[in-house]
Amino acid sequence: MTRLRFLYLLIAVALAVFACSDRAEEEEGDLLLVTTTSVRDTGLLGALLTVFEEQTGIRAQVIAVGSGAALRMGRDGNADVLLTHAPEGEQKLVASGAAVSRTPIMENYFVIAGPPEDPAGVRNASSPADAIRRIADSNAPFASRGDDSGTHRREVALFKEAGLDPDARWSSFLSSGTGMGQTLEIAGEKRAYVLSDIGTFLAFRERIELESLSKPAPSLRNVYSVLRVNPDWLDPERAESAKQFEAFMLALETQRMIADFGRERFGRPLFQPLHL
Amino acid sequence: MSGATALSVRDLRVELQSRRGSFLLTADALDLNAREALVILGPNGSGKSTLVRALAGLERPASGHVTSAVTGAVTMVFQRPAPLAGSVAHNVHIAFLGKKLSGAERRARVVEALERFKIDHLAEHRAATLSGGELRRLALSRAFALRPAVLLLDEPFAGLDADGQAALSLDLRRAISDTGVAVAMVTHDLRRAMLLSDRIAVLIDGKLAQIGSRDDVLERPTTPDIARVVGMTNLVQGVVGEEPHGDLALVEVDAQHRVATRTAYAAGTRVWVGIRPEHLKLDIGRGDVDPIGEGVVREIINDGVSVSVGIDWAGSELRTHLMAGRGLARTIEVGSKVSLSASPEQVHLIPVRAG
Amino acid sequence: MDPPSAAMLVEITARTLVVCLTALAISLAVGLPIGIALGRRHFRGRVAAVSLINTGMGAPPVVVGLIVYLALQRNGPFGALSWLYSLEAMVLAQVVIALPLVVGITLAAVGSLDEDWELQVRTLGVPKRWRLWLLVREIRLGLLAAVITALGGILSEVGAVMAVGGNLDGETRVLTTAILMHTQMGQLEDALALGAILLGLMLMLAGLLTVVQQSGRS
Repeated sequence: MTRLRFLYLLIAVALAVFACSDRAEEEEGDLLLVTTTSVRDTGLLGALLTVFEEQTGIRAQVIAVGSGAALRMGRDGNADVLLTHAPEGEQKLVASGAAVSRTPIMENYFVIAGPPEDPAGVRNASSPADAIRRIADSNAPFASRGDDSGTHRREVALFKEAGLDPDARWSSFLSSGTGMGQTLEIAGEKRAYVLSDIGTFLAFRERIELESLSKPAPSLRNVYSVLRVNPDWLDPERAESAKQFEAFMLALETQRMIADFGRERFGRPLFQPLHL
Repeated sequence: MSGATALSVRDLRVELQSRRGSFLLTADALDLNAREALVILGPNGSGKSTLVRALAGLERPASGHVTSAVTGAVTMVFQRPAPLAGSVAHNVHIAFLGKKLSGAERRARVVEALERFKIDHLAEHRAATLSGGELRRLALSRAFALRPAVLLLDEPFAGLDADGQAALSLDLRRAISDTGVAVAMVTHDLRRAMLLSDRIAVLIDGKLAQIGSRDDVLERPTTPDIARVVGMTNLVQGVVGEEPHGDLALVEVDAQHRVATRTAYAAGTRVWVGIRPEHLKLDIGRGDVDPIGEGVVREIINDGVSVSVGIDWAGSELRTHLMAGRGLARTIEVGSKVSLSASPEQVHLIPVRAG
Repeated sequence: MDPPSAAMLVEITARTLVVCLTALAISLAVGLPIGIALGRRHFRGRVAAVSLINTGMGAPPVVVGLIVYLALQRNGPFGALSWLYSLEAMVLAQVVIALPLVVGITLAAVGSLDEDWELQVRTLGVPKRWRLWLLVREIRLGLLAAVITALGGILSEVGAVMAVGGNLDGETRVLTTAILMHTQMGQLEDALALGAILLGLMLMLAGLLTVVQQSGRS
């Protein structure tokens, strides 16, 4: 084809792409919800949002990143509403005014998982901090998220509680900088201990042949909260949608759904609602 | 002045696959002698390249052997001179790889080899930048740098213009006599063959049909096929006549066309009469001796240097050459009646074999 | 987190170079002889072999990573090696990626030599060892291009090394996996610093390739 014709074709294609993308922009969600990968990966959010859209007609667009990144997006006003599980960071966000409210919705417990042989004797630990101490003392392999996620921050908190330097490393310490799934895979492969949220762990447990070795304890408590980003930064419509989402999450029906979620697949619920 | 035998071939049989199927190269006896050039002629596909590669030891014979009678190297230069990356001098140095020669010796021999073929001024040039003719000279320099006892050449003049061929022929001839190497060369160019050969071998359909001194083969081919290969293209059948013509015999082609020649064949023998184009003369009316009859000019091809004349003579076409711009060449035209003559010494007879 | 430390940049860059250069060396050591052998001889299975190499060259690196992952995981055929999430696994994946490229380009370079080349060299009485040296010398420009291209490919590869290496801090983290991680974590300063280094390396390689190609032309 001649050069000129090719140029015309190129322009036509470009225009078409722009036109389509414009439309795509319009078809974007009415609500930008930023959450963490562990929340998304359990499937709970997908199930809830389907009901949410049925009830309110609001379509939410979900972006899943690490807790740190999620909080940052809230701080920069790049989200409408957050669903995270990093209480300290969340409180800072509210204090700074970037978030106008923080509403705890549900909770579960982190688990410390490890090889069934349990060389460090975590099963007999008196507390999660003690478990960490035992792992460090016996120089057992430990797979850390290393990505500043909510889970990673919990690891750091436990280290502190155990009297260890938050940046502690021992020779078999592994820091992957990746998501929970890959970190669990690494733990499974290397027969390492790992701190994980319950949902992802249950999904991977059989594959990686690791067992949950900890019992629920306050220091493993994991609270999920909805944070509404400062409405002054948002379109009024979006701010309104965010309010509706928060209300939805607190609603009785929704809380009941949360209480049941996971029973079919794992034999036990993954979350405990806080407002039943 | 050829020297001792450098390479001997006995009872050689080489199987080869060609486009036309597989055939067998047969060479019962062939010798290459020092300071001598053997030119191998033959139609396309007759096995010339195979033979020369067998001489080089590149083909495994089905039977028979190629024996080197001297201690020097046997080397070959191929149709496509394959230059290697690097300078011209480096290309020649390749010949010394793995051999015990000092650096000074190598350099001296490189210069000697390049001078032999007049490309010493290109020593530092990259081989890839050479012209076709220069590449051929490089290939030859490289081969001679080895100081081989036997040198085999496959179409060394292909692709060169007339001047290039002439110049290279001279340099090659000189190199052969200087170094005393035994050479076998494949070429389809008759003029090169005539210029460079001491002996000629003719291959037809894989068989060594005739081998002998240059003049022997050119002037006295033993079959019509060989005659055509060596350029004796004027071949007409006739019968040896009853009456002697002085101490010559007359071969009768037809009533008006008779050719006188010396022969031992009995009267009544059916023969081919062979006359090389250069020996066929057009009568210019001075009453030349040895007339052989009249003919009619059918075709004139003038390439500016020579005029090739095709003449209808006794029902066959004969050819001869005239020098352009001289004498008869200026007056002759298609349809002219001409008288032809040929000296009896230059008329060759080949008996017609049944079957 | 803190701005990128020089120590971290140096460590990751050094490890990247070690892994990639090791993989390259192995690919060359294995691939060059195979490419030369395939390029010279005409044998019955040649077309099939060449097809296989072409397929290998076209295989997406991340798919190679997946296959190596499956092979090396504990329950996999080579799980006993315990190579998953280690440097060995990364080198292995990169060798598998680079090898078809090395073989393919070498094969093409050897194949492009004149048929009579080898015969000519033989009839000049060059001993076998030297013939190999001459062959490599003849195709050296093509080889160099192959080396540079292969190195560029494995330096910039991210999918396979992430899958089989796991981006473990201090152990298997290389430039590409680190850039990916920092980007996902929103740590753009780190990502950019590492990206600048990787880009710099690639530009150097591109420049080298240009020099090689130009010298082939002059």
